[in-house]
Parts: sequence; structure tokens; C-alpha cells
Amino acid sequence: MNRWATWLWLVFLFSIPLWMTNQYYLHILIIAGIFIIAAMSLNLLLGYTGQLSLGHVAFFGIGGYTSALVSLGFDLELTDRYSFVFPAQPVWIAFLAGIVVAGFFGWLIGKISFKVRGAYFVIVTISFAEVVRLVALNWIDLTEGPMALNNIPPFTLGVPGLWELTFLRKIPNYYLVLVTCILSYVVIARLVGSRLGRAMIALRENEPLATSVGVDVTRLLVLAAVVSAAIAGAAGGLYTHYIRIIDPDVFMFIYTVTMVIMVVTGGKGTLAGPIVGGLIFGILPEVLREVASPEMQWVIYGVLMIVIVYFLPDGIVPALSSWWKGRSGGGGAGAAAPGPGAPPKIGEERA
Amino acid sequence: MSANPSNRQVVLEIDRLAISFGGLVALASVSFDVHEGEIASLIGPNGAGKTTAFNAITGFLTASGDSIRYRGKTLNGLRPNQIADLGVVRTFQKTSVFAADTVTDNVMIGLHRHAGARLWEILLARPRVRDEEIRLRAQAGEILDMMGLSAHAEELGGALPYGEQRLLEVAVALAAKPSLLLLDEPVSGMNPSETASFMAMLGRIRASGITILLVEHDMRMVMGVSDRVIVLNQGAIIAEGTPEEIQRNPEVIRAYLGHGAGKRGADKREAGRA
Amino acid sequence: MDQFLQHLLNATMLGGTYALLGIGLTLIFGIMRVVNFTHGELYTFGAYMVFFFTMTLSANFFLALVFAMVLGIALGAAIEFVLLRRLRGASIDTTMLVMIGAWIAMQNAEQLAWTGVAKSVNHPFPVDPLVLGPVSVSWIRIFVFCVAVLLIVGTHLLIHRTRLGKAMRSTFQDRETAALMGVNIDAIHTATFALGSGLAAAAGALLGPVFVLVPGMGDMAALKSFAIVILGGLGSFMGATLGGFLLALVEELGAGYISSGYRDGMGFLIIIVVLIFKPTGLFARKERIG
Repeated sequence: MNRWATWLWLVFLFSIPLWMTNQYYLHILIIAGIFIIAAMSLNLLLGYTGQLSLGHVAFFGIGGYTSALVSLGFDLELTDRYSFVFPAQPVWIAFLAGIVVAGFFGWLIGKISFKVRGAYFVIVTISFAEVVRLVALNWIDLTEGPMALNNIPPFTLGVPGLWELTFLRKIPNYYLVLVTCILSYVVIARLVGSRLGRAMIALRENEPLATSVGVDVTRLLVLAAVVSAAIAGAAGGLYTHYIRIIDPDVFMFIYTVTMVIMVVTGGKGTLAGPIVGGLIFGILPEVLREVASPEMQWVIYGVLMIVIVYFLPDGIVPALSSWWKGRSGGGGAGAAAPGPGAPPKIGEERA
Repeated sequence: MSANPSNRQVVLEIDRLAISFGGLVALASVSFDVHEGEIASLIGPNGAGKTTAFNAITGFLTASGDSIRYRGKTLNGLRPNQIADLGVVRTFQKTSVFAADTVTDNVMIGLHRHAGARLWEILLARPRVRDEEIRLRAQAGEILDMMGLSAHAEELGGALPYGEQRLLEVAVALAAKPSLLLLDEPVSGMNPSETASFMAMLGRIRASGITILLVEHDMRMVMGVSDRVIVLNQGAIIAEGTPEEIQRNPEVIRAYLGHGAGKRGADKREAGRA
Repeated sequence: MDQFLQHLLNATMLGGTYALLGIGLTLIFGIMRVVNFTHGELYTFGAYMVFFFTMTLSANFFLALVFAMVLGIALGAAIEFVLLRRLRGASIDTTMLVMIGAWIAMQNAEQLAWTGVAKSVNHPFPVDPLVLGPVSVSWIRIFVFCVAVLLIVGTHLLIHRTRLGKAMRSTFQDRETAALMGVNIDAIHTATFALGSGLAAAAGALLGPVFVLVPGMGDMAALKSFAIVILGGLGSFMGATLGGFLLALVEELGAGYISSGYRDGMGFLIIIVVLIFKPTGLFARKERIG
């Protein structure tokens, strides 16, 4: 996408609340936006670094719960007589705490992934997310279990007492999500377009060759996992302060699956892929809501995913981009038409 | 311990390296040295243990003990990227490039070690990062020039003709700025003129100060470029010396006799690909 | 002590079906290298088939069990043939994603067909448990255990004494050589997937009468199956069998002495711990089934 198109697109996005008065549609966009952020973060780990991480919802939920707990304050009965009391903090601090804690768990997963590869890693990550869900469900003292944490304060910026900006209504939340989305995109784009991004892709494509020229696999995997988890944690934080309730259902495997579907159908290993996937699968449920029951919808998504994997194995964005290149005659200087799998040229990625 | 005609310093010491897989002995207490700035070749019939030795030296196989030392530092137990950091880089027997990346990007990945941009600098898009990228791209260009691949700079690695892919492999390895380069059958499948220009290029690489350890079947090339030749058979060294000495060595001739020694180069060329 | 014995007995009774799940998956995972996300759905399918036959069609309970298993085998073969066959050379990601798609579609189809209301299956055994001194066990569980053991033994014989089993084992060890020796790899894949799925369906059919049926019941079954496979080592029949019993034991003891809420989590903790410390599993031997 060239510069002009990007700016036009951004202007359009920023203008939406000005003319879209239907609060419900705005809500859809906000939720879709949150999912897009999470999908972009998953793409970094799954798409670019090639790690089959299927526990991603855990980072989302950990970020959300941490932010909720820090902003509400909590107390833990450690012994019969002593309780550990943590006072409530301003929301923006809670939000950052959510990102840090999620990032920490990303670090753990990154460390583990080095030892445990391939299909086993898939299983470890799924198990990890399930364990986290069970902890959230059963450690009632901390998380209220299935009774959920509620009355979570809305996102606020500022210094209590002096000046505060509260994001209570839909329009401010929309902008909050949009800005976070753009920031996440920029972080990921810069990372992926740098020498570190090149190394991640090298790792995915030909690990022995990559290590033979000095690429440190562990460090890269950990880096990808931490950044990925932190961004997912941010998405979780946004979610928690927008919906203002959080319960252990947020850790359900089906949400990871949703993110995976978004990334894979959109195009893993491309920057635009998760956005396209996120928009489709964020908005599709609403379109289908009148026509089909939730179960029917999921059957459709399942089938859709299979179909896309068969016919457009690298996703929609790469397929579109080869088609576009094919139309404008030949694509890259003297290159054989890049297979649908070709990632954008490293080092020349533009926002 | 080994012939050292020009009294050059030993950089790679293999000292009683032994590797077995289950009951199968791949290498049986092998010892040899490689000297600074020379081109040494490891030859032997198929299954002699040459690639196993490469894998052990470069960390793709773990050998216990202290049997592999580079410039005094023990390599046993280190990971391949750590060994690359010490200056030891290898190519692979089966063609190994980053197929979905452009040729230039392939080389830039090879330059990874020598780029210094830190994470926070990248995220904040500091100018230093952009400058470094430009520098790296220029360096990649130079390496491609040296290997004669500049015309293919923007093609995908996987789309290159076979001969060029093998050159790309060497380009990527060179980008990592090795002081010891291990080449695993670099000319297998190349025609005579490609082989000849490769030999000339090896000379240029050596002239730039890099020590080379070669595994090869093409006898003409081995005899043409090597300073020293080490012969492996069934996991043990049976001879070591200059190309002339090796060619006259009865043990060597016997080891190869069953495999059609003199025709070796021709056979390999016909057998073709990696 | 009595309590411990009771837990032990419960675990043994349950372990048999867990072993079936594990064996089914280890065969599929081991021979085909497919992360089979539909394994749990076959379990659910088996259970619902028994429900359908006994409750809706009023068929004989034992016959229903047989039908459920046979249909499970057929469904497994169909899935392999329709979905997996053309993915033979594909990357593990692609296969995994297709299996996830199938899993979602299947589970929601079950939901549509049977609704989310919990169902139960009637069985012809006495409801009062058999009391043996300090411990007691219900008749249905004894029956389930016996059938499970029968199936385990039967599968073992299939793998070690028949030509099909031999072909499966050789495919597991060295696919290319097996193909060169004339083994029809496609057919082996279909047979393996069908067998594994049949075992999962059998497990579901057996446990259906013991627990209640909900469309999501397969998820836990699937995850436990993975735990068992990892615990026992990929492709190890013995490992999967022992792993099944071991998991049941850990769950029982964990639920009994620590907290029942975390019962299902035991499986996952096992997975994580085993994979970190001994990635090849407790019983894995190099390249073997059996």
C-alpha cells in the first residue's frame, strides 16, 4: 500500500464515529478492533516466526485479568490472620501492568518453545491456556471464579486528583482501540521489517541454515513470544475496561481458534492479513446473526476455514496480492511470479 | 602430528573425535588439524563419516568431551549459532537457501550477526537503524558481486537455477564473515566450467584470509585447490598429506578402488543433483 | 486408607477408557503425524450414537454400543478420505488448521442436532453398586472396564498379529521403505485413522452411560488424549495404555486430596511437566509401536 492510500485509509477510520451514529455498529467495530490487535500479535508468533502457538487467548486473558485486578485492588487471604492487600491503582497503570504480566508469560512460553517443538509445542500451548482458565475458575479468592470480576473501572488517563480523561462511552473507546491498533501495527511492522524480523522469517523457513550463520534461535523465539504476548495483553486490557466485566470464559479455546482463523484466512506472515481476517470474522457474525444460529455460524466458519486452507492456502491477502501483480504485468524485477506464499520484501515494508 | 609444510598456525584441532549412533560407529577416534589460511579437504567414500564430522564441528551433532577446538576454544556442546559467532560457518550438502526470500535478503540474513540495531532502536525507528539497513544492503550487494550473482539480486532464492543456488549458499555463509569456512560438497552437480570458476573463487576466498575445510568427491577439484588432503574411510583416517602424496598412497587407492576411484569426478557429475 | 483404595478402584475403572482414547490417538499421531483435533468429537459422536440408538430407537443397549463403534470407524475413514488425503504432503500448520475447522464444524453440528441440554443414557445394569468390603463400584463401571480391556487386548492383537498391523508398524518406522515394500500407504492411513476414531467412539459410547452427554464433552476427552499420548510417548501402545491408567489415577487422587475443581487440569499439568523434562514421554522407545 502506498503512502497516499495509507493516509486516506487512516483518515477514513478516524472519521467513522463522526458519521456512523449507530452505537451498535460502533460496538461491533470496537470488538473487531480488539480482536484485530490480538490477531496481529498472534500473527507475529504464528505467521512470522512459524511457531504453532495455540494458547494465545491465555495472554489476552492474563492481560485483561491483571489490568482488572490492579485497577480494582484485591486482597488475598494468605493465612488465617494475614491478608495481602493490594490497593486499587489508576487504570492506565493497571493497563501497563497487564501488558507486563502478559509479556512475562510470553517469556515463559518462549523459553519452553525452544525445548519442545512442532506438534508437541501446539499441545503445550493449548494445555497452558487451559491451566490458566482453570486457575481463573478455581482461585476464587483472587479472581471471583465464575462470579466474574465486575464493576471494572473504565479506561482513564491522567493523574487522579489533578486531571483525568475517562473513556466511558463508545466513541472515546473506539478511538482508544483505533490508536492502540495503529500503535501495535507500527511496532510489528517495524520489528518485522528489521534485521530481527528477517531472522524470525529465516527461522521459520530454514532453521538449520539460520543457526549456521549465527541466528540465535532461543533469543528470537523468546523475543517474538514476549512482544506477541504483550500486545495480546494490551488487547485484553482494552477489552476489560470497555466491557467492564471479565470471567474465566475469556480463556476458552474457541477464542484462540477465532484468532487463528482470522490470521490464517487473512494471510499469515503478512501485515495486512490479520486485519483483513479480523474484519471479516469480526463483522461476519453480525451479518449472519439474523440468518443463522450461533452454532450454524460456527459450522460455516469451520467449513470456510477448510475451504480457504485448500484453495487459498496462504490466505486472502497474498492471493489478492499475486492476482494484483499478475494483472499489472509480471510483478517484481525479473522475478518468477512469487508463489502465494511470498512474504512482502523484507526491509521494504511500508505501513 | 600432521604435515605442515609452511609452518602455519593450527586453528582447528580435532582430537580423537568419536561418534556412534546406537551401535553404529560413524567416526572412530579421528584426529586431524587445519592450519590458518589453508584449504584442507576431507575426502573418502560415501559413508566414511565426512558430513558427520562437519555436523559435529558445527554443533549440529553433540560430541562429548573436548575433541573439537577452534583457536583454543572448545566447540563441543556449543550450539550452531554460538559456533558461528566464533567464526566457524558451514554450508550444507543438500542445497539450503531461504527459498521464499530474495537473493539479496538471503545474504542479508547471513549478515545478521554483524548488524547491531537493538530492539528498542528498531521500535523507535531511530535513524541509525535505517543507516545500518542501507549499509547492510550495500554489503550484500558487494558479496553478490563477488559471487557473480548480482543479476539475480531480486529473484527468489528458490527460483534460481541449481548452480546459482549453490553459489548463493556460499554467499550467505560468507556474509556471516567466517574465519573458518566449511563447505559440504559445494560443487556436486556442477558442470566442468562451473566447477572451474568455483575453484577460482575458492582461491579468492582463501586470499582474503579465510581458512577453508572442504568435503568433496570431485577429485579434480580437490587435487586442484587443496593444500592438504585428509582421507577418511569407514570412520577412520587412513591418510593425510599433500594432494600428490595422497594420489600415490596405496591405502587410498585401495579404499577407492571398489568405488571406481579415477572415475569418481565423472560419476559425480553425471549423478548430478544434491 | 479406605478412601485411597476407593480412589484406586475408581481410577482403574476409568483408566480403561482413557487408555482407549490414548491408544487411538497415539496410533493416529504416531503413524500419520496429524494433530487430530477431531478425536474428541469422535468420542462425543460415539456417546450420542448410543443415546440415539437406545433412547430414540429403543434398541438393545449392547447392540447400540457395537453400532456406535462401527459408525465411529466409518466416520473416521470418511474424515481421512475426504479431508486428509489430499493434504498428504502439506505442512503441519495446514493439516492442523483443517482439523480445527473440522472440529468446529462437527461440534456445532452436534450442538444443532442434539441441543445443549444434557442427556443421559439408560443402561440395563443395576444401579446399586457392588460393595466389596470398604470399597464399592457400580456395575456399569465394571462392565465398561471389562469392555475396555477387551478392546485394548483386541487392538494389541490387531497390531501385532495381523498383516494390517504389521503394515501399520512398518509405516510408523520408515514410511519410504514401507512404500517401497508394497505397503499401500493411503490405505494404511485410512485404516489407522478409522481405527483410532473407532476407539475414541468406543470410549465415548462406554462412558456415555456413566456420565451425562453434552456437545462439548469431547474437548476434555481430546485434551486428555493428548496428555496420555505425551505421557506415554508418541507411538507407544504400552505407553498409551499405562498412560491412560496413570492419568486416571492422578486425576482421582488430585480430585480427592487436593481439589476437585482442578481435576481436569491434572492432565494439562502433566503434559506441561512431562514435555519440559522428558519430551519423549515416559515410555517412548525409539521408533516403535508396541
